[in-house]
Amino acid sequence: MYPQAMCDLIDIVDGTRGKRKGEAIERLSAAELKELLARYHPDYREAAFRNLRVGVNRGDRTTHEIADLLEAFSDLDHSKIDLRPEYDADVLVLGGGGAGVTAALFAEGMGARVILATKLRLGNSNTIMALGGMQVSVHESDSPVRHFADTMAAGKFAGNRKLVKTMVEDGPRIVQWLLDLGVDFDRDGEGNLAVKGGGGLSAPRIISIGDYTGLNIMKVLKDQIRQVEGIDVFEFSPAVELTTNEFGECNGAVLYDLGRKRHFVVRARAVVLATGGSGRLHMQGFPTSNNFGATGDALILAYRAGARLEGIDSFQYHPTGIMFPEHMVGVLVTEAIRSLGAHLVNARGERFVNELETRDACAAAIIRECERGNGVRIPSGATGVWLDTPLLEETREKGFLKGRFPSLFRHFMRVRLDISKQPLLVYPTLHYQNGGILIDEKGETTVKNLFTAGEAAGGIHGRNRAMGNSLLDIFVFGRRAGLAAAKRKYNEPGNVTLNHVHRYYDRLKALRISSTAKSPTLFPEFIVNKL
Amino acid sequence: MKGDDAIITVELEGRKIKVPAGLTVIEALWDTGHDVKRGIGCLSGLCGACTVAFIERESKKVRFGLGCQKVIEEGMNVIMIPCFPCRAARYSLEAVALEKLKELYDELYTCNDCRACNICPEWINVAGVMRAAMAGDYEAAAAQVTDCVMCGLCASRCPKNIAPHFVALYIQRALARERPSPPNLESRLEEIESFRYDGEWSRVAAMDDEALREFCTAMAGR
Repeated sequence: MYPQAMCDLIDIVDGTRGKRKGEAIERLSAAELKELLARYHPDYREAAFRNLRVGVNRGDRTTHEIADLLEAFSDLDHSKIDLRPEYDADVLVLGGGGAGVTAALFAEGMGARVILATKLRLGNSNTIMALGGMQVSVHESDSPVRHFADTMAAGKFAGNRKLVKTMVEDGPRIVQWLLDLGVDFDRDGEGNLAVKGGGGLSAPRIISIGDYTGLNIMKVLKDQIRQVEGIDVFEFSPAVELTTNEFGECNGAVLYDLGRKRHFVVRARAVVLATGGSGRLHMQGFPTSNNFGATGDALILAYRAGARLEGIDSFQYHPTGIMFPEHMVGVLVTEAIRSLGAHLVNARGERFVNELETRDACAAAIIRECERGNGVRIPSGATGVWLDTPLLEETREKGFLKGRFPSLFRHFMRVRLDISKQPLLVYPTLHYQNGGILIDEKGETTVKNLFTAGEAAGGIHGRNRAMGNSLLDIFVFGRRAGLAAAKRKYNEPGNVTLNHVHRYYDRLKALRISSTAKSPTLFPEFIVNKL
Repeated sequence: MKGDDAIITVELEGRKIKVPAGLTVIEALWDTGHDVKRGIGCLSGLCGACTVAFIERESKKVRFGLGCQKVIEEGMNVIMIPCFPCRAARYSLEAVALEKLKELYDELYTCNDCRACNICPEWINVAGVMRAAMAGDYEAAAAQVTDCVMCGLCASRCPKNIAPHFVALYIQRALARERPSPPNLESRLEEIESFRYDGEWSRVAAMDDEALREFCTAMAGR
């Protein structure tokens, strides 16, 4: 329920709805888009970035939040850790989201003994929050090459061609695998996979399961992990450091048992790092749509071990994150709402951008509106703009929102907001880490025997990820990383050491960098006051 | 609601404590210094990790919900139930079939429709799903559980030890595996296997950055 002060503001939106219906806003020209992004997109706000002073990517630009953690010491007193392995496995998978579980299943299928360790519960990840769907070129007007072209263009040609080609080519095969596991993608009347269009796609390419695509895939994958013999799952056991042998090759990790508050070492012939992105670092103070555990641990661990990072100055801000009620701040409202014609409206009841612009442009336009003082300011002090959902009820039909977006509708009914009658207050929310740890087509990083998959990996999405490509990427590269890691099972892992960490610390000390931050972060702090 | 600075008194994890109004159960736990990790996940109401049981002031009824979504109110008595034991059947993927449901989950057929399980935070009519499953109307059962977040609250209430979320998931998987392969996917896989796109790929591979840019832009325009 909105407080009275906000209802008065909503009257303005209601008042201009009729007039807005007939209005058309032109798409931005290339030059206008460039200027909008340069002035208002968070990725271009120079004061929020600095260049790394240490490590493989020395000189590269990243956000202060990430630089602080990369240039930090660990909380862990290495001298007090017993590095004798408590467990031994062929493949150690870190992370229990879509990428990690896929890697574990494929590695197990190759006969590897797998340990999967995850910070929270198995499946607690951003995968389950992938609402919209997954891109895969199955429509007759579509092709893998077209998918490639759209992905490269969306990423502003900063993506690695080989990785993008790998992803789009493997797409149809990985969907077949998911179908075989019993994932029930929506079908059309002829039994085809039903495909929808989306922003920046030149052919209909989004396959989905209602408006809970990722959740329904994850449910099946979790169920499958229960059924196979060769995977041990350690929940509530985040990795706090990787280990390396005398040649600098990765051979395991130090994990922290949250329940018993103690560290232990798992030695492995290969490690798959699939711990996801970094939204919970709340870059530049933005709210985030990410889950509780997304604190960018993979970047920190891999970087200390000597892995090259890629594109870590580029993030995706989803334009429509909730701003009210406060306990839902950062939660996404699906892009489909805008695709179907809902307006973005400022405090004066005016539109200010064509809602079909790409995510980065819409986000920048909302920020511009708020900085110009046209944003809606609410009692808690936060600002945002309106997403005029009742408009859809008027232009489509009564009951349209409830029928088309049942879960979204229900989420707001729980807090007594009827989105068919009242608009939603939104502001851009930190959604996705476009870059990450650089991988090759096998999913291997620049450190031998260290693989990465999912949002932690970089090089695929360039400077902007197209809708639906992250769900695809986690399965494609999860599979590849799992298979390649399993092939290392006859490796001699060697001695478990933290030599790479000591070397890294020495460089920090030599540069007289003494950060107060401790990394990895593991859990966000002060989360109640996240704004 | 939010916006006012009122302080309310609640009973949190068995202890009477004052918290600011407007927080969710999880926020209230954090705010009062509880170091909760177990039972926290997406914070968006999707992962089903943060199940809670609560009694509202002057109510006789124990109610259930998700801790990241439930806003605490004056006089509420609330605890987290981050996990509840329930049995998931073991089966091999090849043997997944709807006929096997009775063998794997025979307790389902002891359901007497008491509807104690109808406490779903996603508003699923769990008892209705179980009725459909028992009657063999699997499509109807599966159609209602797309939004199930596997929190397991329904299983915690069942006097017959049925785990409705696992039963429903099995039905979903079995149904999906019985569906014919999608024709559009099959023909695309066939094309890929017969190297249909290799010519185009080698042209793309030979392009420099400028040519690739033009190629992609032209393709998007088509």
